[in-house]
Amino acid sequence: MVVCTLCSCYPWPLLGIPPGWYKSDAYRARAVREPRAVLAEFGVTLPETARAGLGFDGRDPLSRPARCAPGGPRAWSPMRWPRWSPATAMIGTGLPRERGAS
Amino acid sequence: MTRVHDMGGRFGDGPVRPEPEDALRFAEDWHARALAVTLASGALGQWNIDRSRHAREKLAPQDYARFSYYEKWLAGLADLLVETGVLSTDDLAGAGVDGPHQLADRVLTPENVAAALARGGPADRDSAVPVRFKPGDRVRTRARAGNARVPGGHTRLPTYAQGALGTVLRVHGSHVLPDSAAHGLGEAPEPLYAVALPATALWQAPEHGGDEVVLDLWQSYLDPAP
Repeated sequence: MVVCTLCSCYPWPLLGIPPGWYKSDAYRARAVREPRAVLAEFGVTLPETARAGLGFDGRDPLSRPARCAPGGPRAWSPMRWPRWSPATAMIGTGLPRERGAS
Repeated sequence: MTRVHDMGGRFGDGPVRPEPEDALRFAEDWHARALAVTLASGALGQWNIDRSRHAREKLAPQDYARFSYYEKWLAGLADLLVETGVLSTDDLAGAGVDGPHQLADRVLTPENVAAALARGGPADRDSAVPVRFKPGDRVRTRARAGNARVPGGHTRLPTYAQGALGTVLRVHGSHVLPDSAAHGLGEAPEPLYAVALPATALWQAPEHGGDEVVLDLWQSYLDPAP
Protein backbone atom coordinates (compact mmCIF):
# COMPACT_ATOMS: atom_id res chain seq x y z
CA MET A 1 0.00 0.00 0.00
CA VAL A 2 1.25 3.46 -0.78
CA VAL A 3 0.43 6.49 1.35
CA CYS A 4 1.86 9.94 1.93
CA THR A 5 0.88 10.95 5.45
CA LEU A 6 2.59 14.34 5.12
CA CYS A 7 1.29 15.86 1.89
CA SER A 8 -0.61 13.26 -0.23
CA CYS A 9 2.18 13.28 -2.83
CA TYR A 10 1.44 10.88 -5.68
CA PRO A 11 3.19 9.79 -8.90
CA TRP A 12 0.87 11.58 -11.28
CA PRO A 13 3.07 11.43 -14.38
CA LEU A 14 2.52 7.67 -14.11
CA LEU A 15 -0.96 7.34 -12.64
CA GLY A 16 -2.74 10.61 -13.31
CA ILE A 17 -4.56 12.77 -10.78
CA PRO A 18 -5.07 10.87 -7.51
CA PRO A 19 -8.49 9.71 -6.34
CA GLY A 20 -10.12 11.93 -3.72
CA TRP A 21 -9.84 9.35 -0.94
CA TYR A 22 -6.05 9.18 -1.39
CA LYS A 23 -5.89 12.84 -0.32
CA SER A 24 -8.33 12.49 2.57
CA ASP A 25 -7.30 12.97 6.19
CA ALA A 26 -8.79 9.57 7.02
CA TYR A 27 -6.52 7.72 4.56
CA ARG A 28 -3.42 9.76 5.43
CA ALA A 29 -3.95 9.33 9.16
CA ARG A 30 -5.02 5.69 9.29
CA ALA A 31 -3.26 3.78 6.50
CA VAL A 32 0.02 3.53 8.40
CA ARG A 33 -1.50 2.50 11.74
CA GLU A 34 -4.35 0.23 10.68
CA PRO A 35 -3.80 -0.79 7.04
CA ARG A 36 -5.98 -3.88 7.34
CA ALA A 37 -8.97 -1.93 8.61
CA VAL A 38 -8.51 0.56 5.77
CA LEU A 39 -8.23 -2.24 3.20
CA ALA A 40 -11.46 -3.73 4.52
CA GLU A 41 -13.16 -0.43 3.66
CA PHE A 42 -12.08 -1.12 0.06
CA GLY A 43 -13.49 -4.64 0.24
CA VAL A 44 -10.04 -6.23 0.46
CA THR A 45 -9.41 -8.71 3.25
CA LEU A 46 -5.81 -9.73 3.88
CA PRO A 47 -5.18 -13.19 5.30
CA GLU A 48 -3.49 -13.29 8.68
CA THR A 49 -0.43 -14.79 7.02
CA ALA A 50 -0.01 -11.90 4.55
CA ARG A 51 2.39 -9.13 5.42
CA ALA A 52 1.06 -5.64 4.93
CA GLY A 53 3.82 -3.31 3.75
CA LEU A 54 3.23 0.43 3.80
CA GLY A 55 5.07 2.78 1.57
CA PHE A 56 7.59 1.94 -1.10
CA ASP A 57 8.57 -1.73 -1.04
CA GLY A 58 12.31 -1.46 -1.55
CA ARG A 59 12.76 -5.20 -1.89
CA ASP A 60 10.48 -5.58 -4.85
CA PRO A 61 9.89 -2.17 -6.41
CA LEU A 62 7.25 -1.76 -9.07
CA SER A 63 6.87 -5.48 -9.72
CA ARG A 64 4.63 -5.95 -6.69
CA PRO A 65 1.31 -5.29 -8.44
CA ALA A 66 2.43 -7.40 -11.39
CA ARG A 67 2.66 -10.60 -9.42
CA CYS A 68 -1.09 -11.01 -9.23
CA ALA A 69 -1.96 -9.39 -12.56
CA PRO A 70 -4.17 -11.09 -15.14
CA GLY A 71 -2.01 -13.28 -17.35
CA GLY A 72 0.79 -13.32 -14.82
CA PRO A 73 3.82 -11.09 -14.60
CA ARG A 74 5.00 -11.74 -18.17
CA ALA A 75 1.83 -10.29 -19.60
CA TRP A 76 2.33 -7.17 -17.62
CA SER A 77 4.80 -4.49 -18.42
CA PRO A 78 4.91 -0.98 -17.01
CA MET A 79 3.86 0.34 -20.40
CA ARG A 80 0.53 -1.39 -19.95
CA TRP A 81 -0.21 -0.23 -16.44
CA PRO A 82 -2.78 2.34 -17.40
CA ARG A 83 -4.78 -0.31 -19.24
CA TRP A 84 -4.44 -3.12 -16.78
CA SER A 85 -4.66 -1.49 -13.51
CA PRO A 86 -7.10 0.75 -11.73
CA ALA A 87 -5.46 3.30 -9.45
CA THR A 88 -6.47 1.25 -6.43
CA ALA A 89 -4.25 -1.64 -7.59
CA MET A 90 -1.27 0.64 -8.14
CA ILE A 91 -1.75 2.29 -4.76
CA GLY A 92 -2.32 -1.11 -3.22
CA THR A 93 -5.85 -0.78 -1.90
CA GLY A 94 -7.26 -3.11 -4.58
CA LEU A 95 -6.16 -6.09 -6.65
CA PRO A 96 -5.01 -5.76 -10.28
CA ARG A 97 -7.54 -6.58 -12.98
CA GLU A 98 -8.16 -5.50 -16.52
CA ARG A 99 -9.85 -2.15 -16.54
CA GLY A 100 -13.55 -2.62 -17.09
CA ALA A 101 -13.52 -6.27 -15.94
CA SER A 102 -15.30 -6.99 -12.69
CA MET B 1 6.47 18.36 17.14
CA THR B 2 6.25 19.24 13.50
CA ARG B 3 2.97 20.69 12.23
CA VAL B 4 -0.70 20.06 11.57
CA HIS B 5 -0.08 18.19 8.32
CA ASP B 6 1.88 15.48 10.15
CA MET B 7 -1.17 13.27 10.74
CA GLY B 8 0.14 9.72 10.24
CA GLY B 9 -1.30 7.45 12.93
CA ARG B 10 -3.78 10.03 14.21
CA PHE B 11 -7.03 8.74 15.74
CA GLY B 12 -10.56 9.97 15.08
CA ASP B 13 -10.79 10.52 11.33
CA GLY B 14 -13.51 7.97 10.59
CA PRO B 15 -13.77 5.70 7.57
CA VAL B 16 -12.03 6.11 4.22
CA ARG B 17 -14.72 6.53 1.57
CA PRO B 18 -13.55 5.06 -1.75
CA GLU B 19 -15.18 6.52 -4.83
CA PRO B 20 -15.91 4.52 -8.01
CA GLU B 21 -12.92 3.96 -10.31
CA ASP B 22 -14.54 6.07 -13.00
CA ALA B 23 -15.27 8.98 -10.68
CA LEU B 24 -14.19 12.36 -11.97
CA ARG B 25 -10.71 13.17 -10.78
CA PHE B 26 -11.66 16.84 -10.41
CA ALA B 27 -14.74 17.11 -8.24
CA GLU B 28 -15.15 20.79 -9.15
CA ASP B 29 -14.12 22.68 -12.28
CA TRP B 30 -12.02 25.10 -10.27
CA HIS B 31 -9.90 22.25 -8.92
CA ALA B 32 -8.40 21.75 -12.38
CA ARG B 33 -7.72 25.49 -12.59
CA ALA B 34 -6.12 25.46 -9.13
CA LEU B 35 -3.80 22.66 -10.26
CA ALA B 36 -2.98 24.49 -13.49
CA VAL B 37 -2.29 27.82 -11.79
CA THR B 38 -0.07 26.11 -9.23
CA LEU B 39 1.95 24.29 -11.91
CA ALA B 40 2.24 27.41 -14.04
CA SER B 41 3.39 29.45 -11.04
CA GLY B 42 5.96 26.80 -10.13
CA ALA B 43 7.34 27.06 -13.67
CA LEU B 44 8.34 30.67 -12.91
CA GLY B 45 11.27 29.13 -11.03
CA GLN B 46 10.94 31.20 -7.87
CA TRP B 47 10.72 28.25 -5.46
CA ASN B 48 11.35 24.52 -5.28
CA ILE B 49 8.97 21.66 -4.45
CA ASP B 50 10.12 21.49 -0.83
CA ARG B 51 9.33 25.14 -0.25
CA SER B 52 5.91 24.74 -1.88
CA ARG B 53 5.12 21.74 0.36
CA HIS B 54 6.19 23.76 3.39
CA ALA B 55 3.96 26.65 2.29
CA ARG B 56 0.95 24.32 2.57
CA GLU B 57 1.96 22.69 5.83
CA LYS B 58 2.60 26.00 7.58
CA LEU B 59 -0.92 27.22 7.02
CA ALA B 60 -2.63 27.96 10.34
CA PRO B 61 -3.91 24.68 11.81
CA GLN B 62 -7.46 26.00 11.81
CA ASP B 63 -7.21 26.75 8.08
CA TYR B 64 -5.43 23.50 7.25
CA ALA B 65 -8.22 21.52 8.93
CA ARG B 66 -11.11 23.30 7.23
CA PHE B 67 -9.64 23.80 3.77
CA SER B 68 -10.17 21.23 1.06
CA TYR B 69 -7.12 19.84 -0.74
CA TYR B 70 -7.07 22.45 -3.50
CA GLU B 71 -7.95 25.26 -1.11
CA LYS B 72 -4.73 24.37 0.72
CA TRP B 73 -2.89 24.52 -2.60
CA LEU B 74 -4.25 27.96 -3.42
CA ALA B 75 -3.62 29.30 0.08
CA GLY B 76 -0.04 28.03 0.01
CA LEU B 77 0.43 29.45 -3.47
CA ALA B 78 -0.87 32.88 -2.47
CA ASP B 79 1.59 32.96 0.43
CA LEU B 80 4.47 31.89 -1.83
CA LEU B 81 3.69 34.47 -4.48
CA VAL B 82 3.77 37.25 -1.89
CA GLU B 83 6.79 35.91 0.06
CA THR B 84 8.86 35.75 -3.12
CA GLY B 85 7.69 39.14 -4.36
CA VAL B 86 6.09 37.77 -7.52
CA LEU B 87 2.82 39.44 -6.51
CA SER B 88 1.81 41.89 -3.82
CA THR B 89 -1.19 41.57 -1.55
CA ASP B 90 -2.66 44.44 -3.60
CA ASP B 91 -2.23 42.33 -6.74
CA LEU B 92 -4.05 39.43 -5.09
CA ALA B 93 -6.85 41.78 -4.04
CA GLY B 94 -7.24 43.00 -7.62
CA ALA B 95 -5.83 46.42 -6.79
CA GLY B 96 -2.37 46.00 -8.29
CA VAL B 97 -0.77 47.90 -11.13
CA ASP B 98 -1.47 46.52 -14.60
CA GLY B 99 1.34 46.07 -17.07
CA PRO B 100 3.87 43.48 -18.16
CA HIS B 101 5.26 41.46 -15.25
CA GLN B 102 9.01 41.13 -14.85
CA LEU B 103 8.64 37.34 -15.12
CA ALA B 104 6.42 37.49 -18.20
CA ASP B 105 9.11 35.91 -20.35
CA ARG B 106 9.04 32.80 -18.15
CA VAL B 107 5.34 32.12 -18.70
CA LEU B 108 4.48 28.43 -19.20
CA THR B 109 2.59 28.34 -22.48
CA PRO B 110 0.18 25.51 -23.34
CA GLU B 111 2.44 23.92 -25.93
CA ASN B 112 5.21 23.55 -23.34
CA VAL B 113 3.13 22.00 -20.56
CA ALA B 114 3.53 18.35 -21.59
CA ALA B 115 7.30 18.65 -21.92
CA ALA B 116 7.59 20.43 -18.57
CA LEU B 117 5.58 17.70 -16.86
CA ALA B 118 7.62 14.99 -18.56
CA ARG B 119 10.85 16.58 -17.31
CA GLY B 120 9.50 16.48 -13.77
CA GLY B 121 11.77 17.60 -10.98
CA PRO B 122 14.47 15.02 -10.40
CA ALA B 123 16.02 15.39 -6.93
CA ASP B 124 18.93 12.94 -7.26
CA ARG B 125 22.29 14.69 -7.04
CA ASP B 126 25.97 13.97 -6.66
CA SER B 127 27.00 14.32 -3.04
CA ALA B 128 30.23 14.42 -1.06
CA VAL B 129 28.46 12.91 1.96
CA PRO B 130 29.75 9.34 2.42
CA VAL B 131 27.14 6.56 2.39
CA ARG B 132 26.92 5.40 5.99
CA PHE B 133 24.52 2.45 5.80
CA LYS B 134 23.97 -0.59 3.59
CA PRO B 135 20.97 -2.88 3.14
CA GLY B 136 20.42 -4.99 6.24
CA ASP B 137 21.90 -2.43 8.65
CA ARG B 138 19.93 -1.72 11.79
CA VAL B 139 19.17 1.96 12.31
CA ARG B 140 17.24 4.17 14.68
CA THR B 141 15.38 7.27 13.52
CA ARG B 142 16.06 10.56 15.25
CA ALA B 143 14.41 10.88 18.65
CA ARG B 144 12.71 14.16 17.61
CA ALA B 145 11.16 14.33 14.17
CA GLY B 146 11.25 18.10 13.59
CA ASN B 147 13.60 19.99 11.29
CA ALA B 148 16.98 19.97 13.04
CA ARG B 149 17.97 23.45 11.86
CA VAL B 150 14.75 25.42 11.52
CA PRO B 151 12.19 25.24 14.34
CA GLY B 152 8.84 24.36 12.81
CA GLY B 153 10.60 23.81 9.49
CA HIS B 154 10.02 21.28 6.76
CA THR B 155 11.04 17.65 7.22
CA ARG B 156 10.15 14.28 5.74
CA LEU B 157 10.55 12.35 8.99
CA PRO B 158 6.99 11.97 10.31
CA THR B 159 6.42 12.26 14.05
CA TYR B 160 4.96 8.77 14.27
CA ALA B 161 8.28 7.38 13.04
CA GLN B 162 10.57 9.26 15.44
CA GLY B 163 12.90 7.25 17.68
CA ALA B 164 12.01 3.94 16.00
CA LEU B 165 14.28 0.97 15.30
CA GLY B 166 14.29 -0.31 11.73
CA THR B 167 16.29 -1.97 8.98
CA VAL B 168 17.75 -0.44 5.81
CA LEU B 169 16.25 -2.11 2.73
CA ARG B 170 17.81 -0.11 -0.06
CA VAL B 171 20.13 2.79 -0.80
CA HIS B 172 18.49 5.18 -3.26
CA GLY B 173 21.61 7.25 -3.93
CA SER B 174 21.92 10.88 -2.87
CA HIS B 175 19.03 13.32 -3.04
CA VAL B 176 18.27 16.95 -2.21
CA LEU B 177 17.60 17.27 1.54
CA PRO B 178 14.12 18.79 1.87
CA ASP B 179 14.87 20.09 5.38
CA SER B 180 17.50 22.37 3.84
CA ALA B 181 16.10 23.13 0.39
CA ALA B 182 12.71 24.22 1.75
CA HIS B 183 14.36 27.07 3.64
CA GLY B 184 16.80 28.47 1.11
CA LEU B 185 19.72 26.75 2.87
CA GLY B 186 20.97 24.94 -0.21
CA GLU B 187 20.24 21.53 -1.67
CA ALA B 188 22.63 19.74 0.75
CA PRO B 189 22.21 16.38 -1.01
CA GLU B 190 22.86 13.30 1.11
CA PRO B 191 22.14 9.55 0.90
CA LEU B 192 18.50 8.48 0.97
CA TYR B 193 17.35 5.05 2.14
CA ALA B 194 14.26 2.88 2.15
CA VAL B 195 13.92 1.85 5.80
CA ALA B 196 11.53 -0.82 7.12
CA LEU B 197 9.99 0.02 10.49
CA PRO B 198 7.99 -2.83 12.05
CA ALA B 199 4.49 -1.94 13.24
CA THR B 200 5.56 -3.15 16.68
CA ALA B 201 8.17 -0.35 16.79
CA LEU B 202 5.63 2.34 15.89
CA TRP B 203 2.33 1.73 17.62
CA GLN B 204 1.14 1.11 21.13
CA ALA B 205 -1.33 -1.50 19.86
CA PRO B 206 -0.17 -2.73 16.42
CA GLU B 207 -2.98 -3.98 14.23
CA HIS B 208 -0.86 -6.96 13.12
CA GLY B 209 2.55 -7.84 14.51
CA GLY B 210 4.02 -8.83 11.13
CA ASP B 211 3.22 -5.59 9.30
CA GLU B 212 5.68 -2.82 8.62
CA VAL B 213 5.95 0.71 7.28
CA VAL B 214 8.64 1.35 4.69
CA LEU B 215 9.74 4.98 4.67
CA ASP B 216 12.20 6.81 2.46
CA LEU B 217 14.48 8.55 4.97
CA TRP B 218 17.52 10.79 4.57
CA GLN B 219 20.80 9.80 6.21
CA SER B 220 20.74 12.66 8.74
CA TYR B 221 17.44 11.28 10.10
CA LEU B 222 19.20 8.06 11.08
CA ASP B 223 21.69 6.77 13.64
CA PRO B 224 23.27 3.32 13.76
CA ALA B 225 21.52 0.87 16.08
CA PRO B 226 22.94 -2.28 17.67
